[in-house]
Amino acid sequence: MNTKLIRTTLFTAIAAFLFTGCENETLTDNRETTPDTERWITVAGALMGENPGDGNGGTMVYAVSYEDARDPNASINVFDDGFSVKSNRTARLQSSEDGNTLFNIAYTGENGGEFSRYSVNGGNHFVQEDVTVSIAQYAGTSPRWAKLFDGDRTGIAVNVANITANNAGSGSAEPFRYYRGIATVLALDLQEVVISGYRQYEIPLSEEEELLGHTLFRLDAPVLNKAGDKVIIGTWMQKRNPLTGETESDFARLGTKSVVVDYPSLENPQVITSTVSDGDCSGYRSFNSFLADDGNIYQATQRGSNGSWILRINSNNQYDNTYRFSLDEALGITHSYIESWRYAGNGIAYVMYSHDDSANATFNSEERQSFLARVDLTAGTAHQVELPYEPDLYFFQYQGFLVNGDEVYVAVTPVGRDGHIYILNSRTGAVTKGARLINKAGNHYIGIY
Amino acid sequence: MKPLYTLLFFILCSCSIVTLAQTGKIRGTLRFNEGTPVAAAVVYIEALDRHTVSDLDGLYELDDIPYGSYAVEVRSIEAEKSVTEVTVDKPLVTFTPQLKESSYQLGEVIVKGTTEKRIIETKGFAVNVIETEQEGLKNIQTNDLLNRSVGVTVRQDGGLGSAVSYNLNGMSGNSVRIFVDDIPISAYGSSFSLNSIPPSLIERIEVYKGVIPSHLTDDALGGAINVVLKKEMRNSLTASLSYGSFNTFQANINGRYRHDKSGFTLTLSGFHNYSDNDYEVWGKFVRNILPNGRYEYVRARRFNDAYRSTGSRIEMGFTDVVWADQFFVGYNGSDDYNEIQHGTYMSIPYMGRFSESQSHAFNLIYRKRDLFLPGLDLQLSGVYGNRSQVVNDTVRWNYNWYGEKSMGLYGDPILRPNGAQQGAPTISHTHRDIFTLRSGVAYTIIPRHKVLINHSYYTIDRREFDEMRSEAEQAFVGRRDLQKHVATLSYEMTTLGDRLRSNLFVKFYRQMIDRMDPVLTLDNGEQIRTEERVNSTRKAAGYGLALSYALLPELLLLTSAEKAVRMPSENELFGSIGENIVENPHINPEVSNNLNIGFKAGDYYMGAQRFSFSATGFLRDTRDKIVRQINPRLNDAIQTSPFENLGKTQSLGIEAEANYAYDDKLSLLFNLSRFNTLFNMKEDAAGNRLDYYRKQMPNEPWFTFNSTAQYTLFNLLQKRSQLHIHYSFRFVESFQTTWLDIEDFRVPRQYIQDAGFSYLFPGKKFVVSFDVRNLFDRQVYDNFAVQKPGRAFYLKLNYTINHINI
Repeated sequence: MNTKLIRTTLFTAIAAFLFTGCENETLTDNRETTPDTERWITVAGALMGENPGDGNGGTMVYAVSYEDARDPNASINVFDDGFSVKSNRTARLQSSEDGNTLFNIAYTGENGGEFSRYSVNGGNHFVQEDVTVSIAQYAGTSPRWAKLFDGDRTGIAVNVANITANNAGSGSAEPFRYYRGIATVLALDLQEVVISGYRQYEIPLSEEEELLGHTLFRLDAPVLNKAGDKVIIGTWMQKRNPLTGETESDFARLGTKSVVVDYPSLENPQVITSTVSDGDCSGYRSFNSFLADDGNIYQATQRGSNGSWILRINSNNQYDNTYRFSLDEALGITHSYIESWRYAGNGIAYVMYSHDDSANATFNSEERQSFLARVDLTAGTAHQVELPYEPDLYFFQYQGFLVNGDEVYVAVTPVGRDGHIYILNSRTGAVTKGARLINKAGNHYIGIY
Repeated sequence: MKPLYTLLFFILCSCSIVTLAQTGKIRGTLRFNEGTPVAAAVVYIEALDRHTVSDLDGLYELDDIPYGSYAVEVRSIEAEKSVTEVTVDKPLVTFTPQLKESSYQLGEVIVKGTTEKRIIETKGFAVNVIETEQEGLKNIQTNDLLNRSVGVTVRQDGGLGSAVSYNLNGMSGNSVRIFVDDIPISAYGSSFSLNSIPPSLIERIEVYKGVIPSHLTDDALGGAINVVLKKEMRNSLTASLSYGSFNTFQANINGRYRHDKSGFTLTLSGFHNYSDNDYEVWGKFVRNILPNGRYEYVRARRFNDAYRSTGSRIEMGFTDVVWADQFFVGYNGSDDYNEIQHGTYMSIPYMGRFSESQSHAFNLIYRKRDLFLPGLDLQLSGVYGNRSQVVNDTVRWNYNWYGEKSMGLYGDPILRPNGAQQGAPTISHTHRDIFTLRSGVAYTIIPRHKVLINHSYYTIDRREFDEMRSEAEQAFVGRRDLQKHVATLSYEMTTLGDRLRSNLFVKFYRQMIDRMDPVLTLDNGEQIRTEERVNSTRKAAGYGLALSYALLPELLLLTSAEKAVRMPSENELFGSIGENIVENPHINPEVSNNLNIGFKAGDYYMGAQRFSFSATGFLRDTRDKIVRQINPRLNDAIQTSPFENLGKTQSLGIEAEANYAYDDKLSLLFNLSRFNTLFNMKEDAAGNRLDYYRKQMPNEPWFTFNSTAQYTLFNLLQKRSQLHIHYSFRFVESFQTTWLDIEDFRVPRQYIQDAGFSYLFPGKKFVVSFDVRNLFDRQVYDNFAVQKPGRAFYLKLNYTINHINI
């Protein structure tokens, strides 16, 4: 079995090399990167709260060896055997690069906003370290954060609060000019477990945009640029009607915007705007922008008028409007929606998405089926990954892709049904079925770390 | 509907003058020759088989006595038997015999009084009747009394005045309704609540679980708490003052005057409560966050938790006159101020968040027995309430548990993540006009067969605005008007030689909601404001039965069942922009099939000892539970979702109570309640069995135990004085608060002990009470991560004047 697997993988790898090898100049060196075979591989599952698939019942984790994760005859049952991460709702997990430490910020609840570290010792032996740090005072009890890819040194948490009109308050005769909130950008030292810096400011848009009622509703998914001197933060835009204060659901969207701040000072916020897409670029519960090998940052968009796009931010920290990657066009679908994605190296990324023709989920008719595609950012192409798709495959809350050398690990379980770990070889495109994931009704697996 | 009531009322008033009452009351005070009142004496009319027992002041009343002459017998351990002829020929006859002290002790006299408590408890409903006569003298809050009662869990967010929720046999939230004298308490506003009404103004509290009698006409799905305010029969004035820990001051006064000739009656009561609630909190939830995010665990006093409430009630009218048993017009005014120390959990303290509310309520009551015919009783009551509330939260900084601004890394105070303490800055005003009218007609067709028709009409008109929003936004708010009719028909029957009592009822609900939302429309390229109006009407029906069967004279079997209904609230139907709820006009009422089966045994006598027991098993099977739809995919920037009928839960459990008394010296009470509230959705849409199916829902205290003991010492310091020593113990089993059963998210097991004494001076006018609450200063939690007060001391002085001659 194993030798056959290796042979297949090898063959696919060679084939892929032969066909694509010479084309890519900037992104791909195409040398095989070997995975770490000694590390722990942690699987996370979300329990349902009141409704199937809502993921609001909390998060459980379980760690297995490299071999077990890859063994299709092995079974992992995180819901019966796992360790409960201390978070009221779905935990916001990230892991250290070596897989030995799990980082968590509890989401809502008495300890919402509390950052803690767990050492991974295999099975359900996770030990919470003594020291915790709370960012709740700065970023609230349901904070949005991401780990920078800087060797597990830094996490950045962001927040926008108290969006109000400039003329708020009884008796104000001032004319309306803008809705603005107070933004917080905070750096967390993941090693020392302390807050290492923070800044709070208003981030204005252009005068015209603000007069129409556009405002930065949320910040999320920060990423560090190649030079290491700027952090680029995704945004979620909102428009309110200045005459009523009501949030509008149907409005002419502005171009996708990101906020660029100096690093490590976190000062000098600047807004950059894309002319390619008009979606938001805040992602959901996980990363949404990645620094690629070519020195550019690639950012996914959501809720735009023409489906999801992948945008490029160049080394000058500006949108590169000559780069156009529409997932709709690449896959021949309409109103694609990137739910979660991960850059895997060599210009290749894996994208979880849904679109207009997605089947309605059976666990909740308001939800719909998700898919997984392998995306070549250089060539601008995308191909659906061969997986056992079914209507209840639901990646909307998906958080964790483990990139281990050329291998990308994903947990593929429809809500309420068993599934498997799949190991995707980013270089070759090969798909390998790994350990079986035992599920329970209403629950789903949300990540591998 | 309104004109009909008015008409009915006029007919009543005009007819009652010519209609002669068929029954009257005998009332009086039993005293020894030297003037001391005779308590616990039996007043008995053999011809009618009617009796009553005199109270501590010797006062008694026998009502519903047909006109005629009767031999009235008075018996007591302390007095010699007396028999006197009394003629009842008017609505109220005063009979005040003077008794002789008995020179001997009777061998054994069993006094069985049929008290109001006993009458209510033997009708078949699952009901607790909490009598406050003794408790009113102690340093105790109304919520504490409820909490000690079987099957009731009161969950409070802190000290006096803090937010409170009630759980009756596993049903809580919107499904438990609270009434004051049969009127929904919402008519009076939050300043007149179980937090502010002192026990001494309360006659009794009736707690109905699962099955609600038809006179409490409302869509109460899980239970009802009915507070019956004191209706003194005599001219009296009582007042009390209490002071204790956390600068807690409470005062109340209650008086009544009746002019015997004209029947003119005036009652007056007032209360004032104040507390700093600055009790100490400590432990893992109490921490200051240092500039670098690390925790510093501290022991601190709450600093933003003061509470003040003041209220008064005045009623004047006529009692026991030819045309009315009771006719009152009254006013009830109250006002409160409440600081809010924290949100759901105490881990983040608030500074400067508070609410203020006022209410003015005007009421009218009319009651008459034997209105046109013997056996035809009518009652009408109406309340108009005008309520207003302001929630104020504008402080922009984080505060630590020392009440200081929390500093950031660079020495600056840190802004709150949402702009103010709890959320965005707000000065939110809500005004409500509430009108409620209740009417009830009861007709005894033949003795032991009675038909009752009750109707209640309730209308609420709500307006709100937020001062912290811009003028344009403030002007752009909608209105919601809700009207509700509940009509009930019930049939009460006593058969099988008075052994079987049954009460069969049907309830009809009808609710109308008008919604007005302003909308902007384009007219010649200009945006103009127009109003969009929608209304929604829905109907529902429910039915039920209460049975009690006396297997033996001391052993009653009780069963009650109801298909109970709760209509959707205005927010659930029409949504609320402020709370991001979108409308769902197709929502159905929530329905629950409720069942109680139990028994009541006692009192049994063994010499001077007295025992009683009771136990009830219950089931609450709730369908179409109205829950908020969870939809993570919706655009969060307009993160809105509707309510829908989705949930299913089931509560299954038992409660039991035992009483023991020795003579009039010692009394012991034990009760326990244990239930499981189960998640009752079996499968997901694909037919997979859900893991939580039939598992205990999180955040439900499912096992509680209470006991109280009281010992009385007579003539200890002075002759005819009494010293009552009391002690109470409460146990609450540990419970998980999330589906994930993590030790850190459990509320620990709790043992809470209180003790105190009351000293009744000779003459029974003056009582001093001293109480220690939470004797061993334990950390007490009703809700996860919200600590309640530690050890506290209170002293209370009560003074009563009973024989006022003006």
